[in-house]
Amino acid sequence: MAEVEAALVLDGVTAAYDRDPVLRGVTGTVPVGGSLALIGPNGAGKSTLIRAILGLVPIVAGSVEVLGTTPAHARALVAYVPQADQLDREFPVSVLQVVLMGRYRMVGWLRRPNAAHRRAAMDALAEVGLADRADERFGVLSGGQRQRVLLARAVAQEARLLLLDEPFNGVDATTTDALLAVLARLRADGVAVVMSTHDLSVAHLACDEACLLNGEQFAFAAIAEALTSERLKATYGSSALLLDDGATLLAR
Amino acid sequence: MRELLIEPFQAGYMRRAIVEIVVLGVLGGVIGVHVLLRRLSFLTEVVQHTVFPGIAIAFAFGQSLLVGALTTGLASVVLLTMLGRTRRIDADSAMAVLFAVFLAVGVVVVSRRRGFQSDLTALLFGRILAVDERQLIDTFVVAGLCLVVLAVLHKELVLRAFDQGGAEALGYPVNRLDLVLDAVIALAVVAGIRAMGTVLVVALVITPAATARLLCRRVGTSMAVAAVLGAVGGWLGLVISYDASVHHGWRLAPGATLVMVLTIGFVLVAAGSWFVRHRRVRALVVAA
Amino acid sequence: MSRLVDSFQSPLFRRAMIEAICVGLIAGVVGVHVILRRLPFFVTAMSHATFPGVVLASAAGVSLFVGGTAFGFVVVAAVLLLGAGRVLDNTAVIGVVLAGSFALGMMILSTRPSSSKDLSAFLVGSVLTVTNADIATTIGVGIAVLGLLALLHKELVLGAFDSDGAGALGYRTVLLDAIVLGAITVTLVSAIPAVGTLLAVALLTVPALTARLWTDRLGTTMLLAGIFGAASGAIGLCAAATWSVAAGGSIALTAGAVFAVSLAATSIGHRRRTRPPPRLAVG
Repeated sequence: MAEVEAALVLDGVTAAYDRDPVLRGVTGTVPVGGSLALIGPNGAGKSTLIRAILGLVPIVAGSVEVLGTTPAHARALVAYVPQADQLDREFPVSVLQVVLMGRYRMVGWLRRPNAAHRRAAMDALAEVGLADRADERFGVLSGGQRQRVLLARAVAQEARLLLLDEPFNGVDATTTDALLAVLARLRADGVAVVMSTHDLSVAHLACDEACLLNGEQFAFAAIAEALTSERLKATYGSSALLLDDGATLLAR
Repeated sequence: MRELLIEPFQAGYMRRAIVEIVVLGVLGGVIGVHVLLRRLSFLTEVVQHTVFPGIAIAFAFGQSLLVGALTTGLASVVLLTMLGRTRRIDADSAMAVLFAVFLAVGVVVVSRRRGFQSDLTALLFGRILAVDERQLIDTFVVAGLCLVVLAVLHKELVLRAFDQGGAEALGYPVNRLDLVLDAVIALAVVAGIRAMGTVLVVALVITPAATARLLCRRVGTSMAVAAVLGAVGGWLGLVISYDASVHHGWRLAPGATLVMVLTIGFVLVAAGSWFVRHRRVRALVVAA
Repeated sequence: MSRLVDSFQSPLFRRAMIEAICVGLIAGVVGVHVILRRLPFFVTAMSHATFPGVVLASAAGVSLFVGGTAFGFVVVAAVLLLGAGRVLDNTAVIGVVLAGSFALGMMILSTRPSSSKDLSAFLVGSVLTVTNADIATTIGVGIAVLGLLALLHKELVLGAFDSDGAGALGYRTVLLDAIVLGAITVTLVSAIPAVGTLLAVALLTVPALTARLWTDRLGTTMLLAGIFGAASGAIGLCAAATWSVAAGGSIALTAGAVFAVSLAATSIGHRRRTRPPPRLAVG
């Protein structure tokens, strides 16, 4: 694949869910190795935007360019990390099997993962600090640990663009540190990161750009520039509370 | 037209059948709205089959079918609660197991008898034309009881369906409310079984309510519409099956026919509402 | 007991035994996918919904298997179409379609003479009258379905575990879903001669759930589910011959008994195992 400058180019993206448009006119660029936080209240369209970048939601107007091509063509190079809570905890799969799922496209149809794939999966698991839990059932892990396993799955996929849905939602401090460390390492290797989040402090730690969303785009800029009190107030409306010292409290 | 709709009811058995089906239609419609609010369709489906062994056993020993049905229906609700409490299997799976096992018990019991095929058919599909006056009274009593309970607990049941956490926070005994609704569903199913059989009674509960949900936004109006739909659908179904067999020589099973009428009504309304929504959304997209 | 021994002499019974074991094995393994995707209600609905297809096929004199499968696919399409409006949730739509299609089958059947005997054969099966063609269909379906599930194992499991993730990896999740639903429907219909439409649900859910109680490993679950299913078929058929009851009922009941015993046995072990080891307690 030829070198591309931008990992992700959004140009006036309008996306629709079940024919109802929920997101309008999102425009911006994430460079290779860059990172973007999607910030906005619940129902603002953060997940829809992520799904549009994955090509899972129809785009009514505008365009999405992923790694110099269309979302459908770039899929093998894009990894998606869902919220751990969305997955069935009773499902009989081991932690290692979940991580291996990231490599299924490399394994190909009708084949089983070989030793090299297992090694890659174990390495990814070791990076999130859970190598000793590889044989346990996914569902018995804590929420934070499951979130780390899902990140390990994305690492094992060796993607160039990583999309995370609320990765820091309700996780413990160990997990937050582990996730931040892995994301920093990936970015140093040239992987671009896009995550939705409610947590402004984590957004500051993990990302250098932010996109404020609430049905439409309120800002798409360097994070310090985007996350000003005025802009947050404009995005969140009455659920943003400005404190005397200039800090902003956001209700979900 | 008038002749078509009224004439069949000259015969006493048709009069009893129509009264039975109108009462059941109203009851099923009202309960169905609760079933849909709480997403209990599968539970209703399961309960209608778990009462089957009770009926089969009562039938084999010449006891009251109602008592037999109530016993196993109640047993299945208790077992479901116990299986749910183990947390080892999810609710849907527990219901599937109970469904299969209870049905199997019923089949085994019935099949011990000679010529079991026609008994089985009667139990599974009911005999609405054979309803007698005592059964009518049973149905009235059960329907009255269910409707009174639902009316008295209306706002609590709706609150719980909408927001379990909120109901708990307000201090309502949510578990007991759930048990009451489950029991009402079981009672209604039992009441409907002699007429509709243990396979089709679910249609009287779910189909009119689902149709009403497509038409109305409020719980109260949904109930009224569902009750009317249930009663009218039952009436039409009976008339059609009577007319087909008396005037055209087609034997159409009355229970199955009335369920088909209800289903066709649902499909028409669903198609209509889909069309309306589609046009509205397309207008929205164009505006965007 | 001697009646049971006599039974083995009869070619009818031997055929029935082959059919019961094959159906139990196939349905047991396919049932694991039913449990993974939490589809018991779908299976229940399909067991009713294939009914009119079977009745029509029998009236038209074509293969019950083809008729049931074809109508099953029509019903799946109807559920997807009616559910697309999002006003009603899926369970309500499934409930309506389930009862409606069963009623349709009943109506068609009631216009034909000698309906109640045919009806009971559809509903609870009549394994003692299976023909060589039935057995051939079952074995053919079994090889096709189990082969497909084995070849696509990892993709189907991924689709069940994390549908969005599978979509993000570039899999057509609709296709994966359709393969699983298709396999379930075909298995269900092929089980009708042995256990009937109503009780096919038992073989498609209970052995898989029983296997799940014993193990957390997916491969082992499938193996055990196949064994439990086949054993339920064999033991149930013997019980039916011994006490002369309907075989469909006794097969389902055997599966239920195996489940109950497993639940009791594993509950004891489960309680002992879940005393938290220190490391788990922190996590």
